[in-house]
Amino acid sequence: MFACIYISDFAVEAIVRDEPLLRARAVAVLEGKPPMVCVVALNEKARRLGMEIGMTKLQAAVFATPEENSSAILRQRSPETEESAHSALLDIAHSFTPRVEDTAADMLLLDLAGLERLHGAHAKMARKLASRVSVVGLKANVALAANPDAAMHAARGFRGVTVIPKGKEAQRLGVLPLAVLLGTFELSLGNSDADRKKAREQMLDTLERWGVRDFRTLALLPDDALASRLGEVGAHLQRLARGAGMRTLALCESPSRFEEVMELESSVATLEPLSFILNRLLEQLRARLEARALAARELHLRLQLERRVADEETETAQDLISDSHNVRQFERTLRLPVAMRDVKVFLKLMQLELAAHPPGDPVAKVSITAEPAPPRLAQRGLFMPISPETEKLEITLARISGVVGERRVGIARLLDSHRRDSFRMDRFMAAPEESKQRKHPTASDIGKPALVLRLFRPVWQLQVEVSQGRPVNLTAVVLPSVRSELRGRIVWSAGPWCSSGDWWTENANRESAANNPACPWNREEWDVALANGNDGGVALYRIYRDLASGRWFADASYD
Amino acid sequence: MPSVATLRARLESSLPERLSSTLFMRERAAPLTVSSGVAALDALTGGLPRGALTEIAGPASSGRTGVMVATLAGATHRQEMCALVDASDSFDPASAATIGVDLDRLLWVRCNDMPRRKSSALSAKLGRLEQVLKVTDLLLQAGGFGMVVLDLGDIPPECARRVPLTSWFRFRRAVELTATVLLLVEQEPCAKTCASLVVQLEREAVCAGDLAPFNGRLVMAGGESSFPQNNAMSHAALLRGIQVRAEVVRSSTPGWMQRKPVQPAGVDFKLRASW
Repeated sequence: MFACIYISDFAVEAIVRDEPLLRARAVAVLEGKPPMVCVVALNEKARRLGMEIGMTKLQAAVFATPEENSSAILRQRSPETEESAHSALLDIAHSFTPRVEDTAADMLLLDLAGLERLHGAHAKMARKLASRVSVVGLKANVALAANPDAAMHAARGFRGVTVIPKGKEAQRLGVLPLAVLLGTFELSLGNSDADRKKAREQMLDTLERWGVRDFRTLALLPDDALASRLGEVGAHLQRLARGAGMRTLALCESPSRFEEVMELESSVATLEPLSFILNRLLEQLRARLEARALAARELHLRLQLERRVADEETETAQDLISDSHNVRQFERTLRLPVAMRDVKVFLKLMQLELAAHPPGDPVAKVSITAEPAPPRLAQRGLFMPISPETEKLEITLARISGVVGERRVGIARLLDSHRRDSFRMDRFMAAPEESKQRKHPTASDIGKPALVLRLFRPVWQLQVEVSQGRPVNLTAVVLPSVRSELRGRIVWSAGPWCSSGDWWTENANRESAANNPACPWNREEWDVALANGNDGGVALYRIYRDLASGRWFADASYD
Repeated sequence: MPSVATLRARLESSLPERLSSTLFMRERAAPLTVSSGVAALDALTGGLPRGALTEIAGPASSGRTGVMVATLAGATHRQEMCALVDASDSFDPASAATIGVDLDRLLWVRCNDMPRRKSSALSAKLGRLEQVLKVTDLLLQAGGFGMVVLDLGDIPPECARRVPLTSWFRFRRAVELTATVLLLVEQEPCAKTCASLVVQLEREAVCAGDLAPFNGRLVMAGGESSFPQNNAMSHAALLRGIQVRAEVVRSSTPGWMQRKPVQPAGVDFKLRASW
C-alpha cells in the first residue's frame, strides 16, 4: 500500500503555517520584480472572491481592502518559508516510514508496506497521517492506494482522507478530471517549466477535441488506437487513468537540518512582538523534533536586521553607511545543558539572551536552527540527593547572568598553574558527570576544617614600611574607605616565600603587572598579622612584593 | 457585648469546617540537620538545620570562611548541589578544593560593582547587596540546592543591616519546607528572628611556628603582650592555624532549647593551615 500527502496551494499553506490567523482569510501570494509582480498562488477563499493566478499586483490590490474582513490578504512569496514547510512535511513522513519519495515540494509518497501492525488498518493509518501533518501547521490531502500513481491522483483530486481498496482504482479515479492526470504527468516530464506547460496544454487540447474529459473516458479508449495516435505517452496516460501503473519509489533521506524561517511583512523593533514570532517558530521546531523523536541540544538564532534609516542619532552620512553595511545579521547561540524540547524554556532563554544582547536595529527576518540530539532518557534514582531541575536551572542561570554579568556565574575549574587565582569559569551542570580523576574528600577529611584564603580581587596596593628586611607597618594606597582595616602595625610576620613563573613565555620581556594574566610574575610573599581596629584584634593577611616593580600588594586574608 | 473569649470560642467552632487548621497551634517537628563540617560545632549546635536560615558571624580572620568551606565540603561530599553567592568575589577555589569541596557541584555567583554604582564605596557595597538579594531570590525559587551560602564576610555590618527584614523573612519562607540549608556568613548577625541558628565565632589565638599561641587582644590593650617581640621570629616561622571559639547566640531548634541548660556556653576548635 502507498500513501500520498499532497498540500494544495502549497505557497499559501507555507505562509499560513507561520501565521495561522490567515487560514480564515483569502490569501494571495505574489512573486516577481516590480513592475512584473503577479499572483502565483491562491487559496480557495481567494478564488471565490474572483482572484486568479497571473493577476498583476495592481489587479490583486483591488481585492485587498484593509477595512473589510472578507477582503484578500496579499503576501510576498518566501522560498525559505516554503523550504521550512517542506522539511516539516518530510519530518512527518519519515516519522511514519523511512521509505519516502520526495516527489515535489507539495507532494510526498510513502511506502506503507508492513506498517499495518504498527499503525492499524489503512483508514486509521490515513487519518493518523493527516492528523500528524496538521500538527506541523499544514492542511493536507492524504490518499492511500495500491500503487503510488493512483495514490498521487487521488490525493490531488479528492479533498481530505481517501482510501482506495485494491482493484477499485479505476472505479474511484474515474470521476477525476484530466487536469489532475496531466498535472502529475507534467511532473514526470522533467524538462523546463515552459516546456512542461506547453506539453501539458497540447495534450489536454488534443484529448478535449476527442471529447475525453475525465479518467474514465480515457481508460475506456482502445489501447492500440490510442498508442498509434499519441505514442507511448498516450499508453502511459491510459495506464495511469486506469490506476494500473506501478513503479519503484525514488527514496530520499530524512532532512538533517531543523530550521524555521519567517520573513516579516513589517520589521519589528521591540522584544515583545518578536517574542510571539519566536514562540511560533519554536513551536514548529518542537513539533518537527517531536515527530522524529529528537530534542534540541543547541539553538541558533539568526536575525536579519533592517537597514537603519537616518534618525536624530545619525550625525553624518558616514554613520548611516557604516551602520547599514556592518550590522546586517545578528546571531546568537544557546547551548543547552541537556537535549530538550520545552518551548517555554527555549523562549525564556531567548528572551533573556536578547534582553542582555539587544539586536539594535529593527528585525526583518527571523531564523531559528536547532541542533538535533537524542532526548534525555535517564531517570534519576529515588534515593539520589536533590538537585535543581535542568530546565529551570538554565533559566535561573540566564537570569543570574543578567544580574551579575556574563562569566560571573558557573563552576570554577582550576588551571594547572602556580599563578595566584588561576581558574576559569565553566558552565554549571545540574548533574555533573562523575570523573574518575576527581579527588573526593574521604569521610575522615570532613570534620577537619582548615584555614582558608579570602582573595582580594583586584589586589590592593600597599605602602609598606620595612625594617631589617621585614615589613613592620602597612597602609592601603587606594580606596581606604572600602577596606579601612587594611592599615596598621604588623605585629607578626613570616616570610619571605619566593615565587615566580611564566618568565619563559613570550611576554617575559614585558613589565610585570599585578592583574595581567599573560605576564610573568616574580614576588616575595609574607604572611602577616596586622593589629587593627579598636578592640585590639589582629587580622591575618597575605601580602607580597612584586620584585619587578618593587611595589607591595595585599593579596588575601586568612579566615 | 460578647467577651473576647466568647468571640474566640465562636470563631473556633465555626472555622474548622472551612479551614481545618485555623487557630490551632501546630507542633513543629524538629528540623533535619546536617553536619557543619566541624565536629566541635556540630556537638554544640546539633548541626545546621535544613529548611532554615543559619548565621555564622565573626570578625575578619575569625574562621568564618574556614567553617563555610568545611560545610560546603561536607555538602558536596553528600553529592548535594550547592550555591555560593559571593558578595565580595573573595572565594578562593584553590583553597576550597584543597579542603575537599567538589567544585563541580558548587555554583559560584560572583557579585561585582555595577557600573552605575561606582560613585562611592558605600553605594558600591549596597549595589553588591542588591545583587546578592536578587540572586538569592532566584536560586531559592529554582530550588533543588542542598545548600545556599550567602557570603557577606567583607560587607561592613552597617551595610548588611540595611537589608530589610522582609528579605530575610522571604528567604526563610522560601526554604521552610525544603531540604535546603540557607547559610549566611557575615561580620555581625543581621537576620534577627528570621535566623533559626546564629553562631558567633571569635579568634582566640593565632598559632605560628614553634611559638606559644598568641592573642591579638592583649597587644592593643597596651599591657602585657602575648605577641612575640616584633618580627624577632625566625625565617622558618609558619602560620599554623588559628584557635576559634564558637558560641550559639540564638537557636530555635526545639531540641536545643531543651538541652540549653546543660549545653556549654561555647566550644573551642582549631582551624589548621592547609600546609
